[in-house]
Amino acid sequence: MFIFSKMTQIPVKINNKNPRLASYILSQYGGPDGELGASLRYLSQRFAQTDKSGIALLTDIGTEELGHLEMIGSIITQLTKGEGAKSFDRYGVGDYYIDHANGVYPASASGVPFSAAYLQSKADPIADIMEDMAAEQKARATYDNILRMCDDPDVTSIIRYLREREVVHFQRFGELLDRLQSKIR
Amino acid sequence: MENNRQLTAQQLMRKVSEAWFYVTDLNLYLDTHPDDTRALRMFAEACENAKACTEAFEKRCYPLTVCSADCDSDWEWLVGVWPSQKMA
Repeated sequence: MFIFSKMTQIPVKINNKNPRLASYILSQYGGPDGELGASLRYLSQRFAQTDKSGIALLTDIGTEELGHLEMIGSIITQLTKGEGAKSFDRYGVGDYYIDHANGVYPASASGVPFSAAYLQSKADPIADIMEDMAAEQKARATYDNILRMCDDPDVTSIIRYLREREVVHFQRFGELLDRLQSKIR
Repeated sequence: MENNRQLTAQQLMRKVSEAWFYVTDLNLYLDTHPDDTRALRMFAEACENAKACTEAFEKRCYPLTVCSADCDSDWEWLVGVWPSQKMA
């Protein structure tokens, strides 16, 4: 089960407003390589895992990614808090305002709504873990792209942190893959 | 914990989040290295520290999990900074 804790992994405190930057970061909320897809992928795949380390790692990383989803939602909220229709329009994201105003909606930066087609669950531990390693690299690359667009130090420090976590997850999944493959041999 | 008295809510929260982050990072490491005795010792210490930091924060600020909420007179769970909000 999950127990909610009224905190984030690192505190989110953004002082400036920037609806355009928020619309880019939204991709890590509901985009193809975002945190919602990551948590859903791992928390679904774990049901078919038989290796104890595999069950634990997918559960624990899936749970951490849910926390990251919340951090991304918090960044978007703080970047757009109090901004109205005219501000969204000036920042070039009037279309987002028309559909969602200041709400956080799971979609990609290009406006495609979240889809479970972004992920798989094959009941094949090797296939699933290899997908997970690729997913971590794609998430890391998306954070790299966001860093190229972002010049707000409050946001950059959190995005760098989240990027680093993807690298750690990749490492742990790699260790799990070695473990599963050595059992086959 | 004596020096916690001078810390602001924001500084106390920083300590709580750092402490729980350490727990999470060791947790993932132990999932794939369950026999690492040094990591097991570090994990036990990390958990003790995270619990102590949480207690220090909740005593001074507000509840972080629902069972820490004081319900003698009103519903204290509503108090505090939710993850969507910015700490003052």
